Amino acid sequence: MSSAEQVARERERQALVGRRRLLPRVPARADRTLHRRRWPLSKTTVLHLGGRYNPKTLGRERLITEKAPLWWFTFLSLALVVPLLAGTDKMLTIASTFAIYASINLMWMLVMGTAGIFSLASLAITGIGAYATCWLTINADLPWPLMFPVGAVVGLFVGVIIAIPARRMDGMYYALLTLGIAEVCRAYALQAKWIGAQSQGSLSGGGGFIPEDIRFTQTGQRIGYAAAFVLLLAALAVYRAVNGQRLGLLLRASQKEDEAVSESMGIDFQRARLAVFLISSAGLGVIGAFYAGYFRAASLSLFGVDLLLLLFAMIVIGGLGRAEGAVIGTLLVTIVDRYFVDFGAKRFLFIGLLMLASVLFTRGGAFGLRDQWRELRARRRSQRRAARTSRHGAVSPEEAPEIADKAQIYQRRFDHNQRAHLKSLITDDLIAEHRRNPTGLHSEELERVMLYFRKAELAGKYCVYAVKPFAKYRIVALSGLPGVPPRVVDDRVYPTVDEAYHAVFLRRVNDLRSS
Amino acid sequence: MSLLEIKGLSAGYGPLRVLHDLDLTIERGERVGLVGLNGHGKSTLLQAIVGLTGWQSGSILLDGVEIGGTRMHGSGRATPKIVRRGVALAPQGDAIFPGLTVQQNLDSGAFTARAWRERRRRRERVLEIFPALGQLLGQSVGTLSGGERRMVSLGRAFMGDPRVFLVDEPSLGLAPKISRSVVEALGRIDIGDGAMIIAEQDLGLIQGRVDRTLGMHAGELKQDIGDALLVGHAQTHPHGTQG
Amino acid sequence: MDWFVVTSALALAAMYGLLGIGISLTWSSIGMLNLAHGFTFAAAGYGAWWASKNLMSAPTSGTDALIVALAGILTGVVGGLVVGLVAFLPLHDRPNFPIRSLIATLAISLAGTQIFLLTFGPLNKPLPKIFDPVGKALDMRKFEIGPIEMTWDRAGSIVAATLLCVLVLVWVRMSRRGIQMRAMMQNPEGAALVGVSVRSTGMMVMGICGGMAGLAAVLLSSTFFVNPAAGVQPLAKGLVIALLGGLGSVPGAVIAAILVGFTEALTAKYFGTTTTLFAQYVLVFLVLAVRPRGIGGLLDEVRA
Repeated sequence: MSSAEQVARERERQALVGRRRLLPRVPARADRTLHRRRWPLSKTTVLHLGGRYNPKTLGRERLITEKAPLWWFTFLSLALVVPLLAGTDKMLTIASTFAIYASINLMWMLVMGTAGIFSLASLAITGIGAYATCWLTINADLPWPLMFPVGAVVGLFVGVIIAIPARRMDGMYYALLTLGIAEVCRAYALQAKWIGAQSQGSLSGGGGFIPEDIRFTQTGQRIGYAAAFVLLLAALAVYRAVNGQRLGLLLRASQKEDEAVSESMGIDFQRARLAVFLISSAGLGVIGAFYAGYFRAASLSLFGVDLLLLLFAMIVIGGLGRAEGAVIGTLLVTIVDRYFVDFGAKRFLFIGLLMLASVLFTRGGAFGLRDQWRELRARRRSQRRAARTSRHGAVSPEEAPEIADKAQIYQRRFDHNQRAHLKSLITDDLIAEHRRNPTGLHSEELERVMLYFRKAELAGKYCVYAVKPFAKYRIVALSGLPGVPPRVVDDRVYPTVDEAYHAVFLRRVNDLRSS
Repeated sequence: MSLLEIKGLSAGYGPLRVLHDLDLTIERGERVGLVGLNGHGKSTLLQAIVGLTGWQSGSILLDGVEIGGTRMHGSGRATPKIVRRGVALAPQGDAIFPGLTVQQNLDSGAFTARAWRERRRRRERVLEIFPALGQLLGQSVGTLSGGERRMVSLGRAFMGDPRVFLVDEPSLGLAPKISRSVVEALGRIDIGDGAMIIAEQDLGLIQGRVDRTLGMHAGELKQDIGDALLVGHAQTHPHGTQG
Repeated sequence: MDWFVVTSALALAAMYGLLGIGISLTWSSIGMLNLAHGFTFAAAGYGAWWASKNLMSAPTSGTDALIVALAGILTGVVGGLVVGLVAFLPLHDRPNFPIRSLIATLAISLAGTQIFLLTFGPLNKPLPKIFDPVGKALDMRKFEIGPIEMTWDRAGSIVAATLLCVLVLVWVRMSRRGIQMRAMMQNPEGAALVGVSVRSTGMMVMGICGGMAGLAAVLLSSTFFVNPAAGVQPLAKGLVIALLGGLGSVPGAVIAAILVGFTEALTAKYFGTTTTLFAQYVLVFLVLAVRPRGIGGLLDEVRA
């Protein structure tokens, strides 16, 4: 077994120590044993179900082994229902902003997490999409449903241009370069005649999907939020489809192992990366079109460093590389940013500190906290138990919930007590008796001690090796594994087999005493 | 008091535990060979002494001063301190600085302020042991051959005038003839009342050049194996297990 | 030839060089892209402002100017150390250090701007021109070398910034500490094995780079002003230079600083100040499209 495999297996084992997770149960139905609900157009099951017999009732039951879909369902339905039903104007605006930002972040996460390209141009692509579609609605009377495909095309186009240098450049260079793209766009938008210099580089009065007359009423706001929610759902679907399916798997394989290795196995990871980058760019273009349609405007802040920083903070706080992290981080930061407007500058200080805390103290942002906490708890527990076991060599059944076979616990305790008893039996007389007579009839005490030795585990068991029968004997220890030869214990050579037997006995006594 | 006293040393990387509760005492003026197969913890033992393992616990006394202790993470944090106390490791893969010249690489072995002042004298001493380096002083290390790099690595470790000199696999990746000459050069190094530990897979290479040989098996030490290791792979017949 | 453009370009190049070399040095020796360099810059500006307000007598004398400059540099050093303390020491041996430290320094600059805003308010704070006393002592505001006419302030800035750059460069090349730093960037484990502590050497680098940012702040803020967001522009300039020069290459950064200085002076003269950043990024795009590792990469290839 390679060491990498060993590490993986050990990690898996450690993850299991110390907890048994509570899993929701679903009644098992004999007529639908083989039925699985799957996501449309994919082979992924909606719920991971595991069947088993309940150890107490012996009845059949099914467990939901992956709880994430349930959490997603709860979260998304709450996110939809609460702002729509109980929503004030403020709440609806915050919720819409959240949905738009979360969509941008999901697409961004595809680039940074899945494709592993450290690009900071995502917001710029959104901005370009917004400007282009907004300008077209003003000057070419583009009807609003057409904004989305146009946005996608614009995004794709910009994506192609930006992706060209990504192939050649190192991570940090590319990050800084893409940061520059946003700056160039901002400077250009400020200058460009077709945008209009008097409007400070912003476009306004474009077309949108919320009818103009109800735009600022409660109904208009609700329509806006519902649309933004649909956008979020679509972004999540795209994220899943890319990250969880073929492309994502390819890229994960090439990131985990060496890139050269995966290339030699026929994975064209550069191409896969490019594909993910382009998909995400098209998605960002669509989000840009949505932005333009929602606000009927495109503002310069889309190219600003401030908004970029805010979005980056969301991803970092939530946890880089996971859809859950992006959404939760966005929720947190959007609430801090938009709800606590009264705090002024202090809230950015707070966001900065949150970011710092998440990078200093967590491994994968806020969303990884739960796993981190569980791991910490498991480690503490196993350390405590290790301290106890090294003292007594036994655990109580209550202390070891992860040992399913309780007989093992009692076996260990019995062994511990037996060893204690046998230690008291070993005296100088007993050893002398064995030296006189290694084989044959023994006193009761010696027989008990030797019986215990005989039933010892095979791995590491001492035995006698005849180098030359009747002349040369040595002590070896069995490996306990088929095909692995015993190892030589020391370099002493015994002339008779009886002396070798006694030497083995002495070694075992020594081991018993020191255990 | 012995020069180096290791008690109950366990060490490893992440969840992997390589050394199991290991004891070892090294006396002054001793040359010790550490023999064992790949992956049985020779390098880890040497790295644990300089604090480069992922985690470790147990006590390591150098002249009665604790340089080990329990550490769960932070590989290499304590290393500079340990090195300054007089432990030098010539690691596997040499870990030399490819952009610097041979001379700068050798000088880097004397980075402590006091040693820096007498680096010239120390360099002379290294050149006595590895005369081949004399002509290469101005060359960039990146252009050297494997054997020359190994000499630079060993020379750099020796520049610190270590009390405990650890050498990890001096023959690794070298042609047999060159590795023999490298090990011979190691034998020429005057360790005074210090000590040298050489980890090596090839027992024959260091036999006769060390005062005693320790075997390393599955993270445990087998004291003074002598020629016992040579039967390790012979066919053995378990001949009765009753004691 | 318009000598005014040349001198102002040189002055800009010298000061941007201070910032760019700081960023480049930090990246090459400890592998951290320091986005909090702007924070250090602004902190140093405030430090110098505080000194000028509290320690200076009414007419500026030579010693006072020196005190202000020293206060700025010192605050810069402290700022650099603070950044190192927060973003480098706890993170340097964790996995994914480059990204983590980038995020941490970004967070510091985000939080730092707000802290400045809360403590000092949004108003611009003026700094005295620290080389004016020299001119006053010589009883002339300007001097001429052939066709070049220069203010004392400008000349002083160029000289001081160049001097510090050269000092740091020589120090990195020659001294024991400098070789230690280069050893550390080439092979951290090997460096640990010869007794170089990554932690203390890293903090030293942070301090030095902070000091360079501090001097840049003192020199630049006398023409511009100190305000909470004062660090953003210099950070952008520093990043542009570090990137153009090839991250980690100090000679590359020097050349890049001169290039950027001239681009800025020229664009400002012929197209107006709003286009300067735009022009600089276009320059970066052009260079990086040809040389993905910047000017430093070009230098390496020529050398090899």
